Amino acid sequence: MNAPATWLDERRAEAANRFAALGVPHRRIEDWKYSDLKTAIEGANDDAAASWSVGTLPEGVELFDLSHANAPAWVQKHFGTLPQNAMASASFAHARTGFALRVSRDKAPGSLAVDFAAAGSARALIVLEEDASLTLCETNKASGFSNLGVEIVIGANAQLTHIRHAPRTDAVQVEEYAVRVARDGTYRAHLFNGGAKLSRAEFQIALAGENAQAHLSGVSVLGNGAHADVTTHVIHAVGHTQSTQLFKKVAGGKSRGVYQGRITVEQGADKSDSRQTAKALLMGTRAEADLKPELEIFADDVKCAHGAAVGDLDPNSLFYLRARGIPEAEARNMLVRAFLEEAVDEIADETIRATIWEAVEDALPKAMQP
Amino acid sequence: MLEIKDLHVAVDGKEILKGLSLSIEPGQVHAIMGPNGSGKSTLSYVLAGRAGYDITSGSITYNGEDLAALAPEERAAQGVFLAMQYPVEIPGVTTLTFLKTALNAQRRARGEKELDAMSVLKLVRGKAANLRVTEEMLKRALNVGFSGGEKKRLEILQMALFEPRLAILDETDSGLDIDALKLVAEGVNTLRSPERAMLVITHYQRLLDYIVPDRIHVLAKGKIVAEGGKELAHELEAKGYEHIVGKAA
Repeated sequence: MNAPATWLDERRAEAANRFAALGVPHRRIEDWKYSDLKTAIEGANDDAAASWSVGTLPEGVELFDLSHANAPAWVQKHFGTLPQNAMASASFAHARTGFALRVSRDKAPGSLAVDFAAAGSARALIVLEEDASLTLCETNKASGFSNLGVEIVIGANAQLTHIRHAPRTDAVQVEEYAVRVARDGTYRAHLFNGGAKLSRAEFQIALAGENAQAHLSGVSVLGNGAHADVTTHVIHAVGHTQSTQLFKKVAGGKSRGVYQGRITVEQGADKSDSRQTAKALLMGTRAEADLKPELEIFADDVKCAHGAAVGDLDPNSLFYLRARGIPEAEARNMLVRAFLEEAVDEIADETIRATIWEAVEDALPKAMQP
Repeated sequence: MLEIKDLHVAVDGKEILKGLSLSIEPGQVHAIMGPNGSGKSTLSYVLAGRAGYDITSGSITYNGEDLAALAPEERAAQGVFLAMQYPVEIPGVTTLTFLKTALNAQRRARGEKELDAMSVLKLVRGKAANLRVTEEMLKRALNVGFSGGEKKRLEILQMALFEPRLAILDETDSGLDIDALKLVAEGVNTLRSPERAMLVITHYQRLLDYIVPDRIHVLAKGKIVAEGGKELAHELEAKGYEHIVGKAA
C-alpha cells in the first residue's frame, strides 16, 4: 500500500467543506437563475463515476490517470489549485476518476481527443508548460447527471486551443472549467452545444500575466426541449491582457439558450482590452434566450466593448433574398447559417471547423422549427 | 405586360396608393416621377410582393396573371425584378454565392437546368466588367462595406444576370454622383430590349437624361396626376412638382 496522499486528502476535504457550505445551486442563486440544477437532478445518483477516454498522445504529451496513487510532482503542484465554485468543489471532493495531461515545451503542436461519457463526476487537469501548445478536442457525451471539473494551466507563451463538442442529449451536464493563463499565453475555446435537459458549461478564466489572451466563441443550436447555458467569467488580473467572446444561439421550439458573460478588470490592469458579443435568434414561438453581459471594471485605462441582441431574422434581408427568387425556407436557411458561421469561423483549423459545422447542420433542422 | 388598375394599397391601415392605374407594354421604358411621400416606393414594393403592403382594391395583372397572388420568389422566377433603393447588407453570405443561389432558384422554379459554380462565375464575370463590379466585390459578403455606388452597380449586375421581363428601378439614382450615375444608366440602357419592360422610379429628372423613357407618369398623393412624353421631365424640373400637382388637383 502506498502512503496516503495527504496533499490530495487535504484539498478534497477543503473542497467538500466548500460544497457543504454552498450547496447545490438553484434558481434563486443569481448565477443559476436560468438553469435550475437542483430541480433537474432530484433523485440523481451523485456517487457515480463518469468515464473518460483520451486518444493517441501526440509527442511531448504525458498522461496520468488520476485514479492512480503516486501522482507526479506536476500533478501535485497544480491539481485542485485553481478556484472552485460549488459544483467544481463537488466534483473535486467526490470524483475518484479522471486524468491529468502535461504538454512539455518546444514540441510541435499536436491535437488530442478527449471524450467524457456515462453519469457521475470526473476531474481533468491540463498543464501546458512554457512555450508548449496543444489542440484539445473534447466531446462531452456524458449521460444521466454528470459533473465534470477541468483545470487548465497555461504557462508562459503557451497556447491551448480547446474545442468542446456537446451533441444533443437528454442528460444533465455540468462542466466547470477553471483556466489560468500566464504571460504571453493564449487560451482559445470554441464550443458547440446541441443542448441537453440541462447543460451548463462554465468558464472561469484568469488572465494572470501580461499579454495573456483568451478568445472564446460558440454556437448553441437548440431544438425543442433543449437547454444550453454558457457562463463565462474572464478576469483581467493584470494589464495588457486581451479577451474576445462571440456567442451565437439559434433556439427553436420550446428551448432555452443562456449566455452569462462577466468580465472583471482588476485594479491596475490598465491597457486591458475585452470584447464580448452574444446574439440569439429565436425561431421557436416558445424559445427563450437569456443573454447577460456584465462588466466589472476597477481599472481606468481599459477598452471594453460588449453587446447582446435577441431577435428574429431580419425581415429586410428575408425580403431581399426572396425578391431575388430564393424561396422563403431556403432564404431563412441562408440567413441562419450566415448568422452562425461568423462564430464557427473563429475556428482556425479547417478540419475541425468542418466537423463543428457538420454538427451545426445536423442540429439546425430542429432548431429552426417553430 | 403589366396592367395596374385602380390600385389601392394600405400600409398599417393607412392608404398610400389611392387608385393608381398604369399599363406598360414589352419594350417600353416608363418613368414614375413624384415628390417624397407620393407613394413611389410603395408601388415598387407592392409589385415585388413585400409583406405589409395590403391591396385593398384594384388589380395588378402581369402577363395575364394576378401578380398579387404570387410570392416574391415566384414573381422573381417569372421575370419581375426590383432594383432596390436600399440594397440590404447580408453578412456571412458572399456576393457570388448569393448570385448563384438566386439564379439557380429562379431557373429551378422555371424548370430549367441549374448552372454549376464555374458556369455562374463565367456568366457573372462577363457582365461584371462593364459595371466595374470587381472580383474582390464578388468575394465579399453581400453589400457589406460596399459604397452607395457599388451597391447600385451590383443591383444592375443582378438585373443583367437574371434577365427579367419587367424591371423596376426604385430611385436607382439616389446617392450617386454623376460618374456613378452614368455608369449605372449605361448598364440599364444596354438591357433595353423589345421583350423587356422597365419602370424607372425617380424623384429627379437627372436620371431620365440618361435613361430616356417612352412615357412619364407623375405620381402625387397615391395617384397618377399627369402623364406625357419624355419632355414632361423637363417641365417638372423647370416648374416643380407643385405646379403640375396643383394643376391636376
